[in-house]
Amino acid sequence: MAPRSQLKRKASTAAAEAEAATFSDDEFGDGVLEGMLSDDSEDEENSDDEAEEVDGQDEDLDSDEVPSDEDIDEKDVDENDGPRYRVEKDANGGERYVYDEIDPVYDSDDSDAQDPENTIGNIPLKFYGKTIHHSWGLISLRIGYNIDGKKIMRPATGQALDALLDSIEIPQGWTGLTDPATGKPLNLSRDELELLRRVQMQEIPEEGYDPYPEYVPWFTHEEETMPISAAPEPKRRFLPSKHEQQRIMKIVRAIREGRIQPYKPPEEREQEEDEEEEMYDLWANEQAQPPHVMHIPAPKVAPPGFDLSYNPPPEYLPNKDEKKKWEETDPEEREKPYLPQGYDALRKVPAYDIFVKETFERYLSRSLPRPSCQENTLEYRSKLATSKTSPCRRVEAIPTVGAVEYNHGTRVRSVAIDPTGEWVASGGDDGAVKFWELRSGKQMASIRISADEPVNAVRWRPGSAILTAAAGQDVYFIIPPMLDQEVQQANRAALDTGFGYATNGKQATLTSNGARKDPPGTWARPGARLEDQGVLLKITVRADVKVINWHRRGDFFCTVSPTGQRSAVAIHTLSKHLTQIPFRKLPGLAQSAQFHPSRPLLFVALQRTIRVYDLQKQELVKAIQPGARWISSFDIHAASGDHLIVGSYDRRLLWHDLELSARPYKTMRFHPNAIRQVKYSRSFPLFADASDDGTIQLFHGRVHNDLMTDPTLVPLKQLKGHKVVSNLGVMDIDWHPTNPWLVSAGADGMCRLWA
Amino acid sequence: MASSTGASGEGQQIRVNFTTTLPDLQLPEDKSQLLVPGDIKRYGLSRVVNSEAMLNTDFSIPLDFLINGTFLRTSLEDYLKDNGLSAETTVTLQYVRSLVPPIYQASFEHDDWVADVDVLSSTSRAGLWAGNSLPQGQHRILSASYDGLLRIWNMSGQVIATSPSTSSKPFPSTDYVPAIKSAKFLDATRVASAGMDQTVRVWKYKEGSDKLSCDIKPTLELLGHTGGIESMDVHTPSSRILTASNTGEIGLWTTSASAAPDAPESALLQANPAKKRKVAVSSGVQKGALSMMQVHSGPVSAVVFHPEDSTAAYSAGQDHTIRTIDLTTSKVVNSMTTAHPLLSLCSVQGISTPLLAAGTSARHITLVDPRVSAITTSVMTLRGHRNFVTSICASPMDSYSLVSGSHDGTCRIWDLRSVRTGSKAEGGGSVSEAVYIIERESQKGQKKKSDIPGQGCKVFGVSWDKQWGIVSGGEDKQVQINKGSDLLAKEDGQ
Repeated sequence: MAPRSQLKRKASTAAAEAEAATFSDDEFGDGVLEGMLSDDSEDEENSDDEAEEVDGQDEDLDSDEVPSDEDIDEKDVDENDGPRYRVEKDANGGERYVYDEIDPVYDSDDSDAQDPENTIGNIPLKFYGKTIHHSWGLISLRIGYNIDGKKIMRPATGQALDALLDSIEIPQGWTGLTDPATGKPLNLSRDELELLRRVQMQEIPEEGYDPYPEYVPWFTHEEETMPISAAPEPKRRFLPSKHEQQRIMKIVRAIREGRIQPYKPPEEREQEEDEEEEMYDLWANEQAQPPHVMHIPAPKVAPPGFDLSYNPPPEYLPNKDEKKKWEETDPEEREKPYLPQGYDALRKVPAYDIFVKETFERYLSRSLPRPSCQENTLEYRSKLATSKTSPCRRVEAIPTVGAVEYNHGTRVRSVAIDPTGEWVASGGDDGAVKFWELRSGKQMASIRISADEPVNAVRWRPGSAILTAAAGQDVYFIIPPMLDQEVQQANRAALDTGFGYATNGKQATLTSNGARKDPPGTWARPGARLEDQGVLLKITVRADVKVINWHRRGDFFCTVSPTGQRSAVAIHTLSKHLTQIPFRKLPGLAQSAQFHPSRPLLFVALQRTIRVYDLQKQELVKAIQPGARWISSFDIHAASGDHLIVGSYDRRLLWHDLELSARPYKTMRFHPNAIRQVKYSRSFPLFADASDDGTIQLFHGRVHNDLMTDPTLVPLKQLKGHKVVSNLGVMDIDWHPTNPWLVSAGADGMCRLWA
Repeated sequence: MASSTGASGEGQQIRVNFTTTLPDLQLPEDKSQLLVPGDIKRYGLSRVVNSEAMLNTDFSIPLDFLINGTFLRTSLEDYLKDNGLSAETTVTLQYVRSLVPPIYQASFEHDDWVADVDVLSSTSRAGLWAGNSLPQGQHRILSASYDGLLRIWNMSGQVIATSPSTSSKPFPSTDYVPAIKSAKFLDATRVASAGMDQTVRVWKYKEGSDKLSCDIKPTLELLGHTGGIESMDVHTPSSRILTASNTGEIGLWTTSASAAPDAPESALLQANPAKKRKVAVSSGVQKGALSMMQVHSGPVSAVVFHPEDSTAAYSAGQDHTIRTIDLTTSKVVNSMTTAHPLLSLCSVQGISTPLLAAGTSARHITLVDPRVSAITTSVMTLRGHRNFVTSICASPMDSYSLVSGSHDGTCRIWDLRSVRTGSKAEGGGSVSEAVYIIERESQKGQKKKSDIPGQGCKVFGVSWDKQWGIVSGGEDKQVQINKGSDLLAKEDGQ
């Protein structure tokens, strides 16, 4: 079969070849010769007569007894397309054949076009590198052809062992590449390696090339004592140059003929220039447009004052005390971020010392939502809160500064303000409970209730001034000495009524194997020494008590001993001297417990959940999942009873709406360290948390009566002042019952009143 | 002429022109221009103006000099140099009467914190009430202390009387002693005290002939309060005492034993408990209150008599209110609410109308117009204290200044005439700032222990008398006396 491409080729080349092309591939072997012969004959005939061609074809017909289809086709083609040249007359009147332009279509065997490659899709087979598995079967790839037209096959690649050996003993110049031309591993010679190294080192590749050769001043104006040439000075050195003369005369001539304008007065020139240069105001017709809606103008920077000068007047320079004060204050709290400095000359001013830091921080603030500036965010938010547009603008009275300091001496673990708001009780590591006058800070009494155990919790009984203090496994009832006789008598009576019930003996129950079990709590007198100081009653429970919380009526209170396992939470009845353990088993370590302010519910905080129990029905009502890893404390909103704040050791402060869901309504993470205590104010829409970082954070938290309105939470202020001692900051806080005042207990041995 | 004064070598003479607005200290027209040496200072200038050739006053008047609105504090030459002025020009010096800062005078050491101070002198309130019965020159200070004792001091800082301990301890092992929170002179021989033991005591003291010791005895014990007494005010002509209690009650008492009603049974029981405890001295006659009024919903921090009318009183409480009480009917007439818990109260004559000054826990003093008809209650705010303002006393000399003691360890003197409009952050209104600040002398040179202002030197009581000056007592266990006269510029024409 004669492919179409062959036909085309013949048609487009010289007509002389047309004859040879008439043979099909089948007769290729001897057809070549025949064609050559016929070529010759045809050439002769062509030179004589064109008409002979038909005969020639006839001869072809003769030679092929049975004309094939192709031949017929070819004839048709030739006839259809006609000759591929025009005959023109050349200059001598002779004939000249002008051939058409070759159109290198896809199939043309134009030698410029690349060989069609074997591809799989668009990818040449050589990219696969090796024999490939194809749906047609295994295809072994050739690399190319040698000069004899034999295929160069890809050399057999080494076995895995060879590859391993190669990789162990890396020969000099080993590249790990394969030479695409030979299929053999491509190794570089030493020279090539050296060349590559030079290129890599950005040296000049040529070896031994000296880019900076010593300059030899062969020709110099200096008169040498031993000149290279001893020839005398030539005469031309002393004669005026004819060439220069010619050039000058050329200019002179040009000036004479007026081709060069030698001089023009400047005004004239300016005038001309003015005419030429016409200015256009690009923005002449521009109209002022309103700024884009998203346009936020950059804040105006105050103009630099005298103190920013390099040499300010001496009154602007800080004296030693001011300098010290500036250096001691926190960088965030400084009034000015810089310290005015004076230099008597501008050249003595050193480089801007915090340039890098400042640039870095700017970059940070632009590119990252900075976790490091959460404090700033808080301040910004609190600024917002007190601004006029804020929803809680009516926050007027919040504790802002420390007003009174109570020096307890050792780490204070708990602090409480009495229900009248006149006294403060603090309990510390020294086992002493101290009473202070709230406003003056005068220590009124100090009662050492325990010699070795720290006082973990102090809480006042609601309604009357009896203090309960927990040290070790004991809970003590203290009547402070500041009260008047009448109140003291009443308090004594309240503490003593329970003795008539004598529940202590009866309460001891029998366990299953018949052994007598310890009662959950033993109520007794603490001993004469303490009784003289006003400590009138003592309960001993099974484990160390960490938390005390009273029921609002002042008859019940609950204690939590996290290590107490089964008896971790105990409810005590003062009027009956009765201790009960409400839970057989708790699904975790109890952290804190509190009575609901209005309903008969008990909230028990475990490590991760807060469980709400109905004490009347004796059932679990709700389990709240704050999502904190370890809850430290919680408080219930007194007015509504439906809101809860939870503080956790993993630095989170969570607000729960009990009606809404078991998940927190809001999570706030403003502290870098654990939160120890959270407390609602009883008389203001405020709450606060105490953290190990030594700060207290104040929040505005307004709860609306309308159930549809979400509570408003706004961070207000950070109270700083407690020192961090051995990673502990503020241990406990308590709100004043009527005023917006806050008392905090610090690990630094100080209690503070914030007002 | 230059040679006569230029003894100091480089002595440069400066031409000055003296002017004044004081009509009684006008210089004659031809004498106001003068050449003075350049190194002259305020004192020298004052002497020059006071000299025979110039004012020719009987006694020299200390003067201050104003150049371009600022007081001259350096030498004239230095001033010109500092301000880049030429020494060739004529300098206009305006002279005014010099103001003397409240100079520290003395401190009287106590055993415990001082809760209140009162003074007796011929110009003090008690001295005026005593009239002629006050011996000449009997100037005394009465101090009430947290150790439950009253002390009377004479001018030279000696204790001439210490009251006997009156309290009985409820628990024997505690060292708790009820503090005396308020003490006042009734007249030359009587003293009233009130404190945390819920009783008001009237003491009689009689000075010995040597004036160095005296005998002090309780004559009357007034019972009836059920909470500690924070503040007390006395009015001797009508022999009335007012007390303010932690429970929100205000008690009205009489100092005459015969007129007082009997004490209530419960109070008597409490004061004399069934267990017989030995009381150091006979406590005197026990009587009750004329009237016990439940006025405030929170603790009452201060109560004062109306300055002119002894049948009316004002009280300030921690429930943010100032109340006007009619004592004859025991009714609250008027109630004004402020923004903060109030801790002290004092009536001030004021420039045009009588005012009440109330110290707040928010570190400022609110001046309130107590009249029912007043439209705006808060007239002015005095800002500057850095902690609770716990005591205020009006100036005895004039109607426009007062002194306040605060937990920040300072007493501040305020001039109600200097007023500026408050900024937005301060809540607007009229604002004034302190003229002088009196620090505690005991804290001088001591290291600051805490970042809370006034820790260790809180001022609890302050009193201002013409003769004693400013007397203040506080946490540093000292009564400090500062000079109290000529502190503020006089009104023109006075």
